[in-house]
Amino acid sequence: MTAVTAPPRELAKSGIVAWLVTTDHKRIGILYMLTSLGFFLIAGFLADVIRLQLAAPQQNIVGPAAYNQVFTLHGTAMIFLFVAPFGFGLANYLIPLQIGAPEMAFPRLNAYSFWLFLLGGLTVFAGVVTQGGAASAGWTAFAPLSDVRVSAGVGQDLWILGLTMTSISGIMTAINFLVTPIVFRAPGMSMWRIPIFTWEMIATALLIMMAFPPLTTAFAMLLLDRHTGARFFDPGSGGDPVLYQHIFWFFGHPEVYVMILPFFGVITEVVAVFSRKPVFGYTGLVLAAFAIAGLSMGVWAHHMFTTGAVANPFFAGMSFLIAVPTGIKFFNWIATMWKGAISFETPMLFAIGFMLNFLIGGITGVMLASPPIDYHAEDSYFLIAHFHYTLGGGSMFAIFAALYFWFPKIWGAKLDERLGRIHFALMFLGFNLAFLPMFFLGVMGMPRRVYTYPAQAGWGLLNLSSSIGAALITIGTAVLVWNVIVSLRKKEPLPDDPWGGGYSLEWATSCPPPEFNFRALPPIRSKRPAFDLHHPEYAKDSQK
Amino acid sequence: MPVRFVALAAAVALTGCAAIPHDATQQAGVMQGVWAIFITAAAVVYALVAGLIVWAAIAYRRRDPATVQGAGFSQNVPLELAWTVIPLIVVGGLFAVTYPAERHVESVVTPPAETVQVTGFRWSWRFTYPRAHVTVEGTSDKPPELVLPVGRTTEIRLASSDVIHAFWVPAFLFKRDAIPGIVNVYDYTPLREGVYPGRCAEYCGTYHAHMSFTVRVVSPEEFARWLRDHGTAA
Ligand code: HEM
Ligand SMILES: [Cu+2]
Repeated sequence: MTAVTAPPRELAKSGIVAWLVTTDHKRIGILYMLTSLGFFLIAGFLADVIRLQLAAPQQNIVGPAAYNQVFTLHGTAMIFLFVAPFGFGLANYLIPLQIGAPEMAFPRLNAYSFWLFLLGGLTVFAGVVTQGGAASAGWTAFAPLSDVRVSAGVGQDLWILGLTMTSISGIMTAINFLVTPIVFRAPGMSMWRIPIFTWEMIATALLIMMAFPPLTTAFAMLLLDRHTGARFFDPGSGGDPVLYQHIFWFFGHPEVYVMILPFFGVITEVVAVFSRKPVFGYTGLVLAAFAIAGLSMGVWAHHMFTTGAVANPFFAGMSFLIAVPTGIKFFNWIATMWKGAISFETPMLFAIGFMLNFLIGGITGVMLASPPIDYHAEDSYFLIAHFHYTLGGGSMFAIFAALYFWFPKIWGAKLDERLGRIHFALMFLGFNLAFLPMFFLGVMGMPRRVYTYPAQAGWGLLNLSSSIGAALITIGTAVLVWNVIVSLRKKEPLPDDPWGGGYSLEWATSCPPPEFNFRALPPIRSKRPAFDLHHPEYAKDSQK
Repeated sequence: MPVRFVALAAAVALTGCAAIPHDATQQAGVMQGVWAIFITAAAVVYALVAGLIVWAAIAYRRRDPATVQGAGFSQNVPLELAWTVIPLIVVGGLFAVTYPAERHVESVVTPPAETVQVTGFRWSWRFTYPRAHVTVEGTSDKPPELVLPVGRTTEIRLASSDVIHAFWVPAFLFKRDAIPGIVNVYDYTPLREGVYPGRCAEYCGTYHAHMSFTVRVVSPEEFARWLRDHGTAA
């Protein structure tokens, strides 16, 4: 192995200053996760505003102008400031631990990417206090809607600038996710022993590096259009609005995998530990991650079937293909559970919830990949339901699984199990009550991004159900917050492996781990070094 | 048990499809066929996979809290190949269903029996019948009405004069984007007389929610009469 140079010395060990100047990957990971959860609470509140306004037809609780800002900020925050950054935070915390390294490859770059992300998020929200309000062109900001002649407010500029910062920050952090596991692995930790979560982050990092630069480009072009009269997207001067969509979705589709691959990793880890089995089909899982990442670079125009400006059959075919590696993941998880000894602590409940929800999101995704179906479903509530089943019922559920699963490692105390179960029950029920009706609303003809709908459309009951679901989700979230507050106050002496059966290296160091992670590394002779250490009698089952 | 579950799912799916309109236009009939196949396949796959997940969770729950490890296996190459190849065949089949249907829906008849230029603007629509010199224009408070003859193919020439909109008639199971700088051309062949609501489906700013319209499908005779009555208005 390459000799590991000493990580930069911390300027301060404790207090606020220590957090401000930290280059410790664990602290940066925690900062990332806390910040993203903060944005989740804000975006969740905005979702409640949406659901309040739509609970009944012809309401005017918020008017159209405010509503449009609300859904724009909700979508923007959920995608750019919550789901993806939570994955980055988790990866920052876990990658060095899982490969037996003391730090990330570039700790200062790591700190830089966090602060840039925070600044970017705050910049987006700063639009709220400007004259004309925050951005309101949707999370996609299609041209020419986002052009200065239509969206004149400075809120749109702040949105573009803020997201450009998060995009650059994402590229920085991806460099770390790629380099660290390749060069910083502990002796014995061959590439084919890296835990699946870390593998998924390698695939994610590659996707970020390919997809985020085009996003930055698209935003730069929007800004130039807005302020220098560049007219890239202005048909009146030979520009092309469809071009913006190509660049945006060339980023946007890989982005949805940036928001799911890390969580495929989380689910793999959680399912294996609570099924008390080695991960089934390790090689298949790794190959599937790269197959998904590769294919996802070639499907962007399935978001553009209704433009009439793309080769629909090609993009339909490529999109169908992604179902195959995704299916492999599902079958591997089921095979990991098969003949296991499964217990149902909160992380496992959320993992099972993830599987049942994401399955619906994935299957309806295959439907949408068929243009004759998409012509009706695109930009309707069917689409809203579909992607919430992948990102909410999927990624968000996996985020909660991760939170319960690694909380004891990070904090040194478990979250309360009873509150965890209540949280899960409210979430699972609420989520399905909120989003299942939307499939029907979409088929019945309800378009997305409308602040109200006529009473005679007959959509009232389904919308009410959806709003009640949102209320349950909100109560569930309050239970989670309460759980965290309660659990933060307790510190219990935990063993290195508080769940019993943890297999990757983070379970072979204390809760929380010391500075630079390991006092002594256990021998790494298989894919489950921590498990071999704690249960040598079963080491024979560990794959080499 | 699982077989019955899957059959039930398929039955539910099929009755569900019946709720999707299928005979408002000839093109919608083709697309409804695709919906029916996909919903059925979706229900079967969901029942199968969700069934396996729930079954595994129940059947392999930990019985003895002292268990450190369940079974020790972690691979099975033939099985892994099977669940790679079988889904490949399934998506191949879905593509085979998709491709001809899309070709059919996208094909345009020349010459069409009738042509309408549809133009979206913030926040309503303008319908122009070029041969009869008839133009109908709405506002966000007074949605316009598109009149089409039943049983004949009308070519829609879709455009926008400001931002992107989308012209969606849910009963026709179809929408297309109205993009500034582009004219999108496609056909409707309505099969049933009636009045169908339509809406803008591409977010276009403040009053996007009010950018609705109706489509009225009438007999060819009534259509000719309507054109005559409105011809002078243009
Ligand atoms: C947890 C409860 C949630 C509720 C009740 C909720 C509700 C909604 C609703 C009703 C809309 C449609 C608004 C409209 O089109 O007028 C919407 C849009 C959206 N949601 Fe959520 N959502 C939730 C969570 C999430 C999560 C976890 C994500 C993760 C990425 C997310 C991402 C989005 C995005 C991207 C949009 C589209 C915004 C746009 O059209 O520009 N939501 N949400
Ligand atoms: Cu519009």
